[in-house]
Amino acid sequence: MSRAAAVALDSGELPLGGGLLALLRPALELLAPGGVVALRSSSAGVRHDLPSWCRVERHAYLACEPQADGSDVHFIGRGSFGVPDATDGDAGDADPHTGFAPRGARVERGGPRYPFTLHRRDAVPPAQTTRQLYDQAIAAQWDAARDIPWDRVRPLSPAVERAVGQVMTFLAENELSALYVPSKFVARLHPAYAETAMFLATQMMDESRHIDVFLRRARAGGGQLGVSSVTTSRSLLSLLQLEDFTEAAFLLSVLGEGTFLDLLRYIERFAPDEVTAEIARRTRADESRHVHFGVLHVRHALGCEAALARRLEETVRRRAATLHGIGGVPAPIQDALTILAAGSDAPSAVARGHEAFRELLSEMHAGRLKRLVHAGFTAEQAQLLSELHTPNFM
Amino acid sequence: MSESILLGAVAYDPKVVTIWEGIREYFRAEGVDFDFALFSNYERQVDTLLAGHIDIAWNTPLGHVRVQRRTEGRSRSLGMRDSDRDFHAKIVVRRDAGIRTLADLPGKTLAVGSRDSTQARILPLHFLRQEGVALDRVQLLPFDTDLGKHGDTGSSELDVLRALADGRAQAGAVGDLVWINEQSAGRVDPRLVDVLYTTPGFDHCMFDALPSLAESKVKAFQRALFAMRWDQPAHRRLLELEGLREWLPPREEGYDSLRRALDETGGW
Repeated sequence: MSRAAAVALDSGELPLGGGLLALLRPALELLAPGGVVALRSSSAGVRHDLPSWCRVERHAYLACEPQADGSDVHFIGRGSFGVPDATDGDAGDADPHTGFAPRGARVERGGPRYPFTLHRRDAVPPAQTTRQLYDQAIAAQWDAARDIPWDRVRPLSPAVERAVGQVMTFLAENELSALYVPSKFVARLHPAYAETAMFLATQMMDESRHIDVFLRRARAGGGQLGVSSVTTSRSLLSLLQLEDFTEAAFLLSVLGEGTFLDLLRYIERFAPDEVTAEIARRTRADESRHVHFGVLHVRHALGCEAALARRLEETVRRRAATLHGIGGVPAPIQDALTILAAGSDAPSAVARGHEAFRELLSEMHAGRLKRLVHAGFTAEQAQLLSELHTPNFM
Repeated sequence: MSESILLGAVAYDPKVVTIWEGIREYFRAEGVDFDFALFSNYERQVDTLLAGHIDIAWNTPLGHVRVQRRTEGRSRSLGMRDSDRDFHAKIVVRRDAGIRTLADLPGKTLAVGSRDSTQARILPLHFLRQEGVALDRVQLLPFDTDLGKHGDTGSSELDVLRALADGRAQAGAVGDLVWINEQSAGRVDPRLVDVLYTTPGFDHCMFDALPSLAESKVKAFQRALFAMRWDQPAHRRLLELEGLREWLPPREEGYDSLRRALDETGGW
């Protein structure tokens, strides 16, 4: 062992129990096993304590060289226990034993295994793009109280007010599911992929704000909440019960929230007041970020797992089977969207509203096809998946 | 005795149950049929080993040398912790006591641990005698706590440090493990106390067995024991609790001073 290669430290008169360790331990910690620290000390007690400390900590106490000025230089070799491992950057799967250590920290081996089931690189979209979406999400946060012109709510006809209340009830119910579903996966994500957990946190924050504004709008005109249908309830339960992160991202974000983009555009277009329009505009901007992330996630996963397209198709088929026989779009939301587009309950207006609603359904289908192809499915697969999608939209 | 290996350990702390339950689980996973029995004191454990009711005793140095003496040196030593090697005891003094060398100890009060503690009583006093300290002129302040546990609990060593801190004693004897750990944890005021003397090294605990223990059991026990690894999470927890980084083969030279000390004082 070469003493010339030693890291030199001067601890002055510090006793071992009086601060010396705060100098010595970090110096040793930076060395590989066998690396040497040369510690100058003028504390006599250190002659007794340092060899004992080395024994207890499994470092090698190599020598003490008394100096002309009465001080000592102690030579200590770094022991081989407790040497932290570097955690690598973006590449590679993550080790469940590194726990909550942030990526890039040096981690001491032997820690307990954490129950992170999403610890494979393939399980999450690339860090850099996810990080960009996170930054966009943070920059785009808005305030439900301040940024919506609540003072401009004006009285509507009872039929239209009831329709708005029903639409808002439906939106809030679906957004509650969009809050809960990602939350299931945050605690399963290995912190090496923290960008994904952080993005999901913004998604959950967005959904919270959406739930808030939808419920506020439902009540703002003095109206009440509408009906929650069993179709919606069944559809959302089938989302909540998903246990695979990619399947959930696919059904929730690509198909569900994707379809909601067209729904929110429709609501903005036919909004009976500025408040409703602004709510639809702002929530759609947030939702489009979630859809973007979902498409990114699924496209990445399709590139990593050859059998994934087939698996996702089966998931969609299974879900369609559980919803089989319940007919089309739940009646309460279908009627409310028709009245909203009609702008009144006059029969001639309702005919126009009904036509607008039918157009919405084909726009939703066309939008889904576009997003599915963008995510990496063939036109044929996209056609099938879109047709099997839930009549509940989400 | 059955094929199962039955080990005796002294329950000096509730964690002893956790340690040996964990080691039993590990041994069984390694295919070693293993169980343990807990004793309240080392004297009973040594008697039980010698009577052939247990296969192996996890012994303090005092237990170890007594087993060797009572088997006339024929007992088998199976292994020890890395931390059992090169133990030292310290004589710690108050800085205001005017004790510069060991020759200043006569006339002063020396706090010492339990009379069956190797590191805080038996060996520090033995080495002081060897250094020529007139112990008959040193006032001993003994803390005979947890007798039968041979100093395992460390409580008498903490009593010694407290007596030094509050001035009931000017000097005190402790093992280096307690001394370093208390300092590392910031529980020692370095302005108040300092080390005066470090004893020569000695070894600590040992797995003892009778010479009649089946070779297959010896091999199975050692194979599983020495395969425990610090960087394995499941092993590490047990090793931490038992105070070691790795198990090592036995060695005997570290117990000579203890035998001499017991000879001198009739402490057998």
